[in-house]
Amino acid sequence: MTAMPTETFTLTIGNLSRELPLVRPTPTTRLPLVEFLGDTQLVKAAANATVALIPEGTQVLFTCETSSIPYVHSLAEIMNLPYEVARKRRRPYMHDPIIQDVQSMTLGVGETLWLDLRHAANLRGKNITIVLDVVASGGTIASLEKMILRAGGKPHGRVAAFSHGQPKIEIAVMQQLPILDSRS
Amino acid sequence: MPNAVQYKIVKTHSVQIGSLTRELPVISVAPGVAVALLNLLGDTELTEEAGKALAALLPKGIEVLVTPEVKAVTLAHVISRILGIPYIVARKTQKPYMFEPVTREVLSITTGKPQLLVIDGFDIPKIKNKSVAVIDDVVSTGGTLRSLSALITDIGGSVNATLAVFTEGDPRDDVIALGHLPLYLGEKG
Repeated sequence: MTAMPTETFTLTIGNLSRELPLVRPTPTTRLPLVEFLGDTQLVKAAANATVALIPEGTQVLFTCETSSIPYVHSLAEIMNLPYEVARKRRRPYMHDPIIQDVQSMTLGVGETLWLDLRHAANLRGKNITIVLDVVASGGTIASLEKMILRAGGKPHGRVAAFSHGQPKIEIAVMQQLPILDSRS
Repeated sequence: MPNAVQYKIVKTHSVQIGSLTRELPVISVAPGVAVALLNLLGDTELTEEAGKALAALLPKGIEVLVTPEVKAVTLAHVISRILGIPYIVARKTQKPYMFEPVTREVLSITTGKPQLLVIDGFDIPKIKNKSVAVIDDVVSTGGTLRSLSALITDIGGSVNATLAVFTEGDPRDDVIALGHLPLYLGEKG
């Protein structure tokens, strides 16, 4: 059981600010925990600030569940673009889904992404830009790009609202969040 | 033109939400059971339209919205944004960063497997002693709804309304919905 974090990091986007709790993914590091679910104002501010990062020629936005979904919905609405969501579980209504493993960064635990054939069809022949709330090692991005290729789409861009530290892959990030050591 | 990703919908069910019409694919989900599949994820226009219509139907006095992960998250987001009422997502897995989460198991008929509903301890003060509306995309057997309501009650919230885009199967009057979907039994979707 984790203890209630008391220290916070102040996030500012435009004239909106949030006190993000610091969590400890390892005994020696602390990260600000940003959460889009439940915070419509933060989502709106982040989506507005992300529009300029979406490469020209993008035809479809692509993300994976869950915490990125309201952010990508808002971005899609502002830009009048369709979006698709890779799911983390197989659902009974999926037929011939694209199934892609992810080497997850945070816990070293593998994950699997699922994209129903009906949705994969919407990526085919299109310029697809991946949009995530937070990018860490880039493992999820790599898997989403494989899914785009398997669906017959063209990977066109990589965008994230936040990164923890300097991203290890090439990606447009709205704001970099610090990785703090345990004593700083 | 040959391609790997091609999908042909055999049968559809037409629905109207506000000014929008959608042809929902009728998809088989189990032997002898097919559903008209509503998909809000990726359909920004429909989500906004449904959210607007449901926001207008939300009973007075509701202080917080709770939605189960995943498919109704954008719907709850839209209603929350329109009315300025906060929303909370009940997650399906416990996250390492959660603080004293509370959980409840759901026995879902459609997935066939027990599922977990989890509310982060951080969110409990936002639900405790509050008037809660549950938001979902489609309410069918009501299994998720019952578990989620029990979980909310456990942590001291009172569930005073349930809103969904559609009810499905047997008509029910305990859910505020914009329409009703048939359940297709004994035929192939």
